[in-house]
Amino acid sequence: MPQLIVTTAKGETHVLEAESGITAMMAIRDAGLEGLLALCGGVCSCATCHVHVDPASQSLLDEMSEDENELLDGSLRRNEHSRLSCQILITPARDGLRLTIADED
Amino acid sequence: MLDLVDRDYFTDHSILLDPYEYFEALREKGPIYRLPGRDIFMVTGFAESLEVLANTVEFSSVVCVGGPAAQMPFTPQGDDLTPQIEEHRTSFVGGDYLVARDDKAHTNSRALLSRLFMPSRLKANETYMTGLADGLIKGAVARGGVELITEIAVPFATLVIADLLGVPPDDRDHFMGVLAAGPPAGALDADDDAERPHPMEVMAGYFVNYLIDRKQNPRADVLTELATASYPDGTTPDVAELVRLSTFLFGAGQDTTAKLLGNAMRFLIEVPGLQAQLRADPSLLGAFLEEVLRLEGSTKMTSRIARKATTVGGVEIPVGTKVMVALAAANRDPRRWENPGAFVLNRPRIKENLAFGRGAHVCIGNPLARAEARIVFEKLFEHSSHVDFDAAAHGKPGNLKLDYEPSFIIRGLEKMQLTLTPR
Repeated sequence: MPQLIVTTAKGETHVLEAESGITAMMAIRDAGLEGLLALCGGVCSCATCHVHVDPASQSLLDEMSEDENELLDGSLRRNEHSRLSCQILITPARDGLRLTIADED
Repeated sequence: MLDLVDRDYFTDHSILLDPYEYFEALREKGPIYRLPGRDIFMVTGFAESLEVLANTVEFSSVVCVGGPAAQMPFTPQGDDLTPQIEEHRTSFVGGDYLVARDDKAHTNSRALLSRLFMPSRLKANETYMTGLADGLIKGAVARGGVELITEIAVPFATLVIADLLGVPPDDRDHFMGVLAAGPPAGALDADDDAERPHPMEVMAGYFVNYLIDRKQNPRADVLTELATASYPDGTTPDVAELVRLSTFLFGAGQDTTAKLLGNAMRFLIEVPGLQAQLRADPSLLGAFLEEVLRLEGSTKMTSRIARKATTVGGVEIPVGTKVMVALAAANRDPRRWENPGAFVLNRPRIKENLAFGRGAHVCIGNPLARAEARIVFEKLFEHSSHVDFDAAAHGKPGNLKLDYEPSFIIRGLEKMQLTLTPR
C-alpha cells in the first residue's frame, strides 16, 4: 500500500499505510490523527481538511479545481502549499506523499 | 407510572413531543448508559458520540436504518461479527442502504456520490432552487398563509433533489405523491399497509429506465454522470447498484430537509426578537441555521452495532451490543456547549454540531441542505414582512399544539400552519 507521511499541527509525524482509491483526508481521519475535522465528509465544501503539502511532494499532485481554490481562499492559513486533503486521491504514484495538517482557522 | 428514563424511547409516543427531556434524564445516568436488561447503550455525550462515529473498525452501521431495538437476523457468534453481518446484511432493515454500509462497499459508493455535492454542482442547482422557492413563497404570501411542511417544505426539498438527479419534470409530481404516501424513516408504528409497494421500490423502477437510457444517450446531467461513473479503483458499478444509490439519495434528502425547515421556522417565530434581527440582516441566516441544527436538527439519533468488543468513554461495549448515538443530546451536552438549551447566534465552533453526524458517514448532502434552508428563508424575507403561527390551527403562543412525526429517528413537525404578512 502507498505510504502517506503526515505531520500533525503539534509536530508529530506518522507514517500511514493508505489504500489506493481513498483520499488523503480519509486516511488521516481513519488513523484518528488530531486536528483534521473534515466536517463536510469529503465533498469539497468546508475546508476543514486543509493540509500543507511538503514542497518535495508538490510534483506528485494534480492542479487543484476551482472549487478547491475558492474554498482555500477562505482560510487564513492558506499558503502556496495548501490543499484540501479530501481532494487528494491516494495512488501508487503518490507513495511517500508528505503532508502537514494545517492549524485550524 | 414509569420514570422518564425507564420509558421505551423506540415505541413511546409521549417522548415524541419532547425527546430532550428524556435525553436529559438519560444524561443524568452518564454520557453513555446501558438500558437495563437490554443490549443497547445510549450515548448522550458529545465526546463519546464523536468516539463512536469515528470508530468504523469496531462498529458497524448496519443497524442504523432499522434502529438498535430491531430484532437481529442472527445470533452473534465469535469475537468479530463482520462475516455474519455481511452474510445477513440484506435481512437488516435498510441494511444495504448507503448509510448502513461498512468498509469498502461504503467507501466506493460514497465516492460515486461525492462529486454530486461539489460547490460548482450546487451552484448550478441553486438557480433552480431559487426560482422554485420564489414561486412557492410568493404564492403562499399571496394567499396570506400556508401549511409549511406539505405545501412548501416537502415539495421544495423533493423537487430540488429531483433537479439535482436530473429526474424529468413530468415524473417529479408522481415521485412526490409516492414519497408522501410512504412511512417516515424510523416509524414508531409498524406500517399497516404491507401490500403497498415501498416508495423506494416504485422510484427504483423509474431509475432503472433513466440509467439505462443515460448509458445509451448520455447528456449533461447527474444521472449520466452516475450511469457512466467508475469506482476509485477503476471498476464500474452495475445498474442495480446505481439505482439503489439514486433512490436512496432521493429518499434521504427529502424528509430530513423538509423537517429542518419546519424546525427552523419554529425558532424564527418563537425566539424573541430573532425574526426582526434576521430580517434586518439576512447575512445572519447561516449562523441561525447552525444553531437550529444544534438545538433541533431533523435527525435525533443514529446507531451502530459493536462488531468487535470495544470501549466508549471508558465503558466496555461487548461484541454484539448496539449503541444509539443521540445526536440531539450530544448537541446539548453541557460539557461541550455553554448554556446548551439557550438559542445563541454565533457560538464558537458552532459548525462542529453533530446534526449531520461526523466522520465516514457524515450526511453527504449537508451542503445542499444548508443551501436549501438558506434560500427558503431568503425568499421568505423577500416576499413577507412577518410570519407567525396560525392561531386557529395551533392555538396561542405559550400553549401551542404541535404534532411531531412519530419516528425515533426524525425530529420534525407533521404540519405547521403559518400566517404570512405581505411586504
